[in-house]
Amino acid sequence: MTALAVTGMSVSYGNVLAVHDASFTVAEGECVAVTGPNGNGKSSILLGIAGLARRRGTVEIFGATAPPGDVMWTARHGLTLVPERRQLYPKLSAADNIILGCYSWTRSARKARLSDAFGYALEVFGELHPHLGQAAGTLSGGQQQMVAIARGLASAPRILAVDEPCLGLAEAVSKRVYQALTRIHAEGTTLLLVEEAPRRALQIAARRVEVRNGVVA
Amino acid sequence: MKLANLIIAGLVTGSIYAVFAVCVAVWYRVSNILNLAVGDFAMFGALAVDDLVRVRNWPLPAAIAATLALVGLFAYGYDRIVLRLAQDGRRRQEGIVITFFFTFALSFFIDGIAKILYGTNVHAAPALWGGNSLSIVSGLSIERAGVLVLGCAVISGLMFALYIRYTLSGKAMAASGENYLGARIVGINTRQYRRIIFVVTALLAAVFGIVESPITGYTYLSGATISVTGFLAAAYGGFQRPGRALAAGLAIGILEALLGGYVSAQYGDTLMYAILAALVLARPRAMGFESAVGG
Repeated sequence: MTALAVTGMSVSYGNVLAVHDASFTVAEGECVAVTGPNGNGKSSILLGIAGLARRRGTVEIFGATAPPGDVMWTARHGLTLVPERRQLYPKLSAADNIILGCYSWTRSARKARLSDAFGYALEVFGELHPHLGQAAGTLSGGQQQMVAIARGLASAPRILAVDEPCLGLAEAVSKRVYQALTRIHAEGTTLLLVEEAPRRALQIAARRVEVRNGVVA
Repeated sequence: MKLANLIIAGLVTGSIYAVFAVCVAVWYRVSNILNLAVGDFAMFGALAVDDLVRVRNWPLPAAIAATLALVGLFAYGYDRIVLRLAQDGRRRQEGIVITFFFTFALSFFIDGIAKILYGTNVHAAPALWGGNSLSIVSGLSIERAGVLVLGCAVISGLMFALYIRYTLSGKAMAASGENYLGARIVGINTRQYRRIIFVVTALLAAVFGIVESPITGYTYLSGATISVTGFLAAAYGGFQRPGRALAAGLAIGILEALLGGYVSAQYGDTLMYAILAALVLARPRAMGFESAVGG
């Protein structure tokens, strides 16, 4: 089944066109890497799909057409973005950051805490356990990235769109992040991975979408 | 006995600071906007109820219900029209413009409306719980309105503190203010939270104005004064934590009463502000000021 179908999508910021007429599909269970040099529109593709940037064209998630500009719809229909620069809530604890991922499917703190998705997020990143009570803003860059991915997992995503997960991280930490992503993909989550370094992404991704000057090659 | 009476008087005054501090802190947490108009909602609540009951002879419950409905609708409309344009529109305002100006303007606007409608006299809503002061032991007493005011402060402060700490929706509210983008990614409707909390705190302020006005009496200008004192207490809670804002409000009230009673009735206020300023300078972090100045 097609998890994500992007047809003729253009993303613009004011008068600046960042992505022009992009089309591609991602099958369920697949991992696709979006690669290309910096500033060529990789992140804009994700922002457009998630509904965070103005877009034209159609985006279908598991067959349902996503209304443009509605990030909440996207989150509730199974596509969760792990954005560039993580976008955590710095004063809330790491645990609160992660559990808020559950907000896309429940309003009950109890249900969220007992959920499989939340449990899975904590299990994948077991090393976060001693730091769960700490304010997210005080964690190291690597830990923050793990919290961001864990928050994505807590939303029980069917498609996880991860934007530059290793930006600014040390090599050892990057490896650890990729190890976790490999596991997440192996255990059934469809991945859309934006990565400047295709070599790293292609460890998991079977296929890549190359973006140059806002155009999908 | 003098000490106990002063503390009770301080708690009642402190409740006034505390309620507004809680309102300011909670809404700042969700929207990053300081609500300088919160006291004006209280003033308007008191004046409108007084007018409806004494001048137009409405029954008290109907007057209160009508006033609250009006305040709620107005707050909703203000968010829908002005704040939406300011914060969500294409030309998003940021920094000090959004933090201060829109609610500052609102404060003047409400004052003006109140002046036209109710004139410049001192008004007070009818007491909700009439009768003599309650005597706790002989020589120690508390006004009935004071009990309501204190109750109002403690309940609202604790309610919001528990809401943020224990519910997912409370955490989502806090997340909205901390990272707008990060909140929307997980499906949090940040605009809705901003709107709901704005309306709820406006209603809370109005209820409080109705309850409290029999003690102090309000004019159309009272709102700004109350906002500023609430603001001060909220600053001691780092503009973020309703529980700390509540405690700070009550503590400032007690300090004010003790200084007035034991040191100087005339210079009590001045002395209090001096102490508060010294505390902020000496221990800014412990006082929770880091988030107010450091972002």
